[in-house]
Amino acid sequence: MAVSPELVFSVLMGLLLLVVAGWLTRLEDWQAYTPVGGGGYGESTGHGHEEKPAGLTRWLTTVDHKDLGILYSLFGIVAFAWGGITAMLMRVELTTPGMDFLASFGGVGLYNALLTTHGITMLFLFAAPLIFGFANYMVPLLVDADDMAFPRINAIAFWILPFATILMWAGFFLPLVGIDIQAAKTSWTLYTPLSSTMQGTGVDVFLLGFHLSGFSTTMGAINFIATIVAERDSVNVPWSKLDIFSWTILTQGGLILFAFPILTAAVTMLLLDRNFGTMFFAGEGGGAMLWQHLFWFFGHPEVYILVLPPMGLVSLILPKFAGRKLFGFKFIVYSTLAIGILSFGVWAHHMFTTGMNPRLTASFMAISLAIGIPSAVKVFNWITTLWNGKLRMTAPMLFSVGFVQNFIIGGVTGVFLAAVPFDLVMQDTYYVVGHFHFIVFGAIGFALFAAMYYWFPIMTGRMYDRRLALWHFWLSIIGGNVTFIAMLILGYGGMPRRYATYLPKFMTWHAVATVGAFIMTFGVVAFVWNIWQSALYGKRVDSGDPWNLKQSDQFSNEWKWYEGKRQTMLADGGEEDADDAERNAAD
Amino acid sequence: MEEQPGLSEQYTRASPWPVFVALGLVLTEFGVFLGNYLLPVGVGGVLLLEASVVGILRESGYVDSLWPSSLGVGLFVGGVGAALLTVGRFNRGAALAGAGGIAVLAAVGFCCYERGYL
Repeated sequence: MAVSPELVFSVLMGLLLLVVAGWLTRLEDWQAYTPVGGGGYGESTGHGHEEKPAGLTRWLTTVDHKDLGILYSLFGIVAFAWGGITAMLMRVELTTPGMDFLASFGGVGLYNALLTTHGITMLFLFAAPLIFGFANYMVPLLVDADDMAFPRINAIAFWILPFATILMWAGFFLPLVGIDIQAAKTSWTLYTPLSSTMQGTGVDVFLLGFHLSGFSTTMGAINFIATIVAERDSVNVPWSKLDIFSWTILTQGGLILFAFPILTAAVTMLLLDRNFGTMFFAGEGGGAMLWQHLFWFFGHPEVYILVLPPMGLVSLILPKFAGRKLFGFKFIVYSTLAIGILSFGVWAHHMFTTGMNPRLTASFMAISLAIGIPSAVKVFNWITTLWNGKLRMTAPMLFSVGFVQNFIIGGVTGVFLAAVPFDLVMQDTYYVVGHFHFIVFGAIGFALFAAMYYWFPIMTGRMYDRRLALWHFWLSIIGGNVTFIAMLILGYGGMPRRYATYLPKFMTWHAVATVGAFIMTFGVVAFVWNIWQSALYGKRVDSGDPWNLKQSDQFSNEWKWYEGKRQTMLADGGEEDADDAERNAAD
Repeated sequence: MEEQPGLSEQYTRASPWPVFVALGLVLTEFGVFLGNYLLPVGVGGVLLLEASVVGILRESGYVDSLWPSSLGVGLFVGGVGAALLTVGRFNRGAALAGAGGIAVLAAVGFCCYERGYL
């Protein structure tokens, strides 16, 4: 007798629910859940004084913003590894014009799937979660709050991500176990009619995961806004003293609140078109242009959702190692808000070649050029902060300076693309790919690396290996520039983006880009090894001010908290206990 | 005999529910949307989501009693199921209506227990 899949799934779900119920019964006191029970909510039981349980249970049940910050960061690093591996597979394939390296694994189809998952992963599963990781850990400390405004929603928002990610990546692994669900090959922009007509459940599974990750981001953003507005200690941290990173997270939260529901709605419409016979994006309905308008109305603010907090990180970190206060703090805040508002008026610059009304293209060009002004204000302020400063070239400082360099190239190439005549020539070429990689890896990635090194002592109680961090920086900046400048040159030569094969005349610069990508990869390996080794065995931090920030009167709230924590631990049980506690925190 | 406190009573910064709210939401969307032979996954997800929502509301102190929230989520899910039934989506509608019905039955059980009838 054949066993139906329905029966198999029913039994599996029954078992899952039993396991969940069993685990919860071990953890929770059910008497406390009913008014007739003995416990009653909020009564002191006299058992235990700690905040969290130990071991794996701690990480599965934590609602502490610091733990969730670490979980977000670890998740971001895992996603970065996946995004990096997929990029390298593509770059190796692109070393030669024909289809050779990937030919025996899936050929052009696999290349298209790698392209799709690389873009989605780096934007939504690496950059955004890593930003949320730092924001989770640091924003409540910076604004002097006890925790996030909604700690449980914070945990829900995090836990949606790994499950959604499994759906988004499933298409790569399910065929290996004999299940015919293929990875989506739609590219990250999911343009219709390709995405609405492409056959296969894999696209639906991917879209469902993408849809759910949007829930997670929106929940996180609401939490950050509520924390900064309502949980901030308004006496110690009035609006006038709010740090620059929190300002950018607040602006980012506002952008997410207005942009992500559009994406969620558009993806829902796409799923309905694919599965339930609706015609939102069919020729008779809104058509392919409707998707592009909806997608980019979300998509361009998304660029600033991702870049504003890294700008905040650099604005926070640069002055610490320049020995001076941030030059023009207020103007950086104003420019952040200006970018946030203008970002909703530029979306159609992604669509100049679609046959739009020229009067419309002119207005979108004007606003796209205008958004360069507040971005340039920031660059001016960073450079003037460095000017005549007492620079200390630590790893966070190097990555911050690297950010500024990469952002200038990425930004200026973007200003060119904002001009309609130039865009008409360069649309869909590698020039665009080079431009946004300078921003996404060269700027956003570098700022996140800077933050990782800057706050490493707080998050782990240990110091990173400086030598490995320097290798990481130099390999990343050299490899990044080699790769992305090669892409810009390929674009000038007319190499179209998204192709697995190309004309032999482009081979030299593709080979250069691949060499650069390998150099970057060595840097990333140094980074991951450094973080892993240093978190476990690195030199212990012996002061609450490892960066000597008191010297330049820049000892900010998160470091005050860290110093207080160290003093409390020392007073509680001496240095050994403090070390043990730090080790536990790092575990 | 001294009572043993539950995890979320003993520890101020721990809750067992968020991970299951997230898992329930994901399984619900995945199973119910894709339907067909994955519908049992959706039903399991809805049940997990309903229980987790009721649990987290009680544990975080937003409600004092289990039955009103159980009734609320049951009626909501059941209502969505009924709406799907009316537009001809029989399998998905029946799955959601059934899962909602289970939560409503649970609400009746909680109510009876809390009032000492059980």
